[in-house]
Amino acid sequence: MPKSMLLEVITPSKLFYKGEVELVIVRTLTGDEGYMAGHTWAVKLLAAGELWFQEAGSKDFKIAALAGGFVDVKDNIVIFTDAAEWPEDIDLSRAQQEKEKAEDWLRHPSDDDSEIARAKIAIQKSMTRMHVKAGGHRRKR
Amino acid sequence: MAGSNMRDIKRRIRSVNSMEHITNAMKLVSAAKLRKAKNTFEKTREYFHYVTESIEEIFNNTSEVPTRYLQGNREIKTTCYIIITSSRGLCGGFNSNVIKEAAREIEKDWEKPVIVAIGGRGKEYFEKRGFEIFEEYMLPPESISFVETRDISKPIIELYDAGKIDEVVLIYTSFVSSMEQKVRSVTLLPFEIHRDPDFPMLEKQVDYEPSVEEVFNYLVPKYVEIMVYGAIVESATCEHAARRMAMENATDNAREVMSELTLFYNRTRQAAITNEISEIVGGAEALK
Repeated sequence: MPKSMLLEVITPSKLFYKGEVELVIVRTLTGDEGYMAGHTWAVKLLAAGELWFQEAGSKDFKIAALAGGFVDVKDNIVIFTDAAEWPEDIDLSRAQQEKEKAEDWLRHPSDDDSEIARAKIAIQKSMTRMHVKAGGHRRKR
Repeated sequence: MAGSNMRDIKRRIRSVNSMEHITNAMKLVSAAKLRKAKNTFEKTREYFHYVTESIEEIFNNTSEVPTRYLQGNREIKTTCYIIITSSRGLCGGFNSNVIKEAAREIEKDWEKPVIVAIGGRGKEYFEKRGFEIFEEYMLPPESISFVETRDISKPIIELYDAGKIDEVVLIYTSFVSSMEQKVRSVTLLPFEIHRDPDFPMLEKQVDYEPSVEEVFNYLVPKYVEIMVYGAIVESATCEHAARRMAMENATDNAREVMSELTLFYNRTRQAAITNEISEIVGGAEALK
């Protein structure tokens, strides 16, 4: 059995998750990365994406949607994110609506670059939500 | 004569009595809201330090930190004030304390300040005095979410990046206890940090991705966002605490006035009765 480490997921308003885990997978700005105990120390920025982690002694993965942030990998892992949601808390129809709204912005292009960037982030966030609700993008086992 | 006087007193007693009912009810409502707000406040407080610690850690462990957000990178000319008040009154000196402090700070500046008002009272005050309000936010603060506060802090950071403002100061009420609240002003940007030789060096090499600058440039605005969010939550807690105190004092006061009036009413009534009796006795004496 692999060694376990402490994972803390912190949002500005609450401690979202705290527990012993064996494997953590997050989406960094450069792509998905997994960490196990004994990983090189690192601080990485996260894109809006899924969080997968395997609790100590469990075969199954737990999934949550993250809205960007950063991960601090030391002997323990701390993820600081703007917002985090479990699949059971996600409102699918709302995510769908938000995605459509954001796509609508893109269809009426404006000169404002930041607006386009914001719409893209909004789409990514709602896509993440929908994937997480559906049991994750990658459907591991 | 005595009769109409007594009616007046009775009317006053009734009006004070109904006022007491209202203030008492408001006190209970505020107490309940205070409990809820305090709960959120304590939860945010617990994880508040995390981002600041990360910033310090990076700063003390790497040499190539970008100076854009650090103190001393440019001369401070225009200051942006984020002033957090409440949108409702009846909370004692809560709003006026914040406004007084803000006005004092603004007076010290030469350049015209940029004002971001959170809560209606502060906005009204500075608008009336001819200041330009750059941004305002009016919703009740107790239900605010982090994502909403980001909409407030983002334009501020953009202004700072664009060089239109050189300093960001946050003025809010900090929570000492349910009985005591203090106005604080905190400079958010430029970030005040000094190389601390005692800071524990990390024993292992840390990878920063995409790069140290980018992580650092992400963390500092995040720090601003979190501070603004924390201050709003804290200020909401203070508002309810202040209102609860104000309403408690008002209720006590109303009760005191009422007992005085009741005593006065009874005295007047007794005097009227005595007067009547002496008239009757006097009349009976005259008939003898």
